[in-house]
Amino acid sequence: MNIEVSKAALHDACLRAVTEISADVKGLLQAALDRETNDTAKSMLSSMLDNLRIAKEQDKAVCQSPGYPTTWISFGDGNFPAFAHDTIAEALGEATRKGYLRPSIVDPLTRHNPGNNTGEGVPNIEYQYHPGQPYVDYIISFKGCGAELGNAMKIFTTATLKLDKDFEGLKRFVLETVINAGGKPCPPFGIGIGIGGQMDIASKLSREAISTRKWDDENPDPLLNRLEKELLTNINKMGLGAAGTGGDTVCLALKIAKAATHTAIAPVAINFHCWVARRAGIRVWDDGRVETIL
Amino acid sequence: MSTINLKLPLKEEDVRSLHVGDVVTLTGRIFTARDMGHLKIRELYQAGKPLPKDFEGAAVFHAGPVCLKNEDGSWRLNVIGPTTSIRMEPHADLVGKLGVRAVLGKGGMAEDTLRACAEYGYVYLQAAPGCAAKLGQGITSINDVTWFELGMPEALWDLNAVEFGPLVVGMDTHGNSIYKTLRENATRIMNEIYPE
Repeated sequence: MNIEVSKAALHDACLRAVTEISADVKGLLQAALDRETNDTAKSMLSSMLDNLRIAKEQDKAVCQSPGYPTTWISFGDGNFPAFAHDTIAEALGEATRKGYLRPSIVDPLTRHNPGNNTGEGVPNIEYQYHPGQPYVDYIISFKGCGAELGNAMKIFTTATLKLDKDFEGLKRFVLETVINAGGKPCPPFGIGIGIGGQMDIASKLSREAISTRKWDDENPDPLLNRLEKELLTNINKMGLGAAGTGGDTVCLALKIAKAATHTAIAPVAINFHCWVARRAGIRVWDDGRVETIL
Repeated sequence: MSTINLKLPLKEEDVRSLHVGDVVTLTGRIFTARDMGHLKIRELYQAGKPLPKDFEGAAVFHAGPVCLKNEDGSWRLNVIGPTTSIRMEPHADLVGKLGVRAVLGKGGMAEDTLRACAEYGYVYLQAAPGCAAKLGQGITSINDVTWFELGMPEALWDLNAVEFGPLVVGMDTHGNSIYKTLRENATRIMNEIYPE
């Protein structure tokens, strides 16, 4: 593993993540505009696509809010990137000084703002070990926090899931959560749903599902794939629309991840992601090759 | 859709003539305020102390801009976009009493604001969410900043706007809210799809 190559690639990925949104989400936005029938929603979606172009042309932040940075790092044997935390923190500081990121990370109680978008536990990193993996994957994601105001979590049981009615209890909870969130999570949003484990695991899975998967991919698990499609269709039938001011598309993508849980419970976490999907993913092979994966 | 260009400071009749769905732009001075700014204003107002700005006819923007400092100590705007307005719902009456005529943000507000809009005569204007680079083009300069010690997002920024927008009237002075109507409609559809 070449540490200097990895550091440079990770630094560049951090800066890419704050100045553009991922291509999959941009494609879904354009498709939503193409089929939109509501005039206000058309105007909102056009503004969003214009905004991406202007930010790119003028080398500016896409959104004023940097959101909250989490990076997923998967590594194998002998390639653990011990430098990653400091490299990301330095990149955040640089992006803040250059005006790509507004200084927005504060102490949760005193609200003290150190001014560099870092703090206790920030940048957050989720490490995953995969034995024998000859590369390190880095996915850095900045998720906006207006979206957090719509999030919900509930510990279901077999009865409340309505297992006998094809999970209608779960499905209704998702739609109720979308109605309560309304325009708060910057629609057209993405939704990540984590099911299983205990509260902490369901919540982490919900963020990982919507932050690390491509929004136009297919879930390889047939049951989850069916639920994702059904929920996405029915959420959009409710007419909330882009910006939450009415229209055909309030949700661009819905992704579910699961983990085993205890026989007594079924924890479900619902996590909104604003349309400004600022993220970047790279794979750094042990032989020094660098690939873009997101 | 035709766009109405409104000049700041706004008059009560300007906003009472607006209806949900109208599209407007704003020209003149806009003040930003979010969670901490509203708390500071409330503190001063309740103590009967002078406020840093004259809010009569003002537009208050729920936003925290990204600003860069020039060598001479003045500020320039990089980008600006709306933050989630519902956090400011507890201040619905306060902004009405101050004489604010337009509240700008995203995501809409709730019952207290809808009542206050009718009672005091102000409207809620929705900006396109996440469009900070585009919206920033409507801000020509920064007059000054108050309470910078609260941090860049929470400070009160005094901005010069020219045809800032487009903004959609989300809540008007006639008791109408796009958000409330959509929510009721969505609940009805949900009950048809997945009955309780």
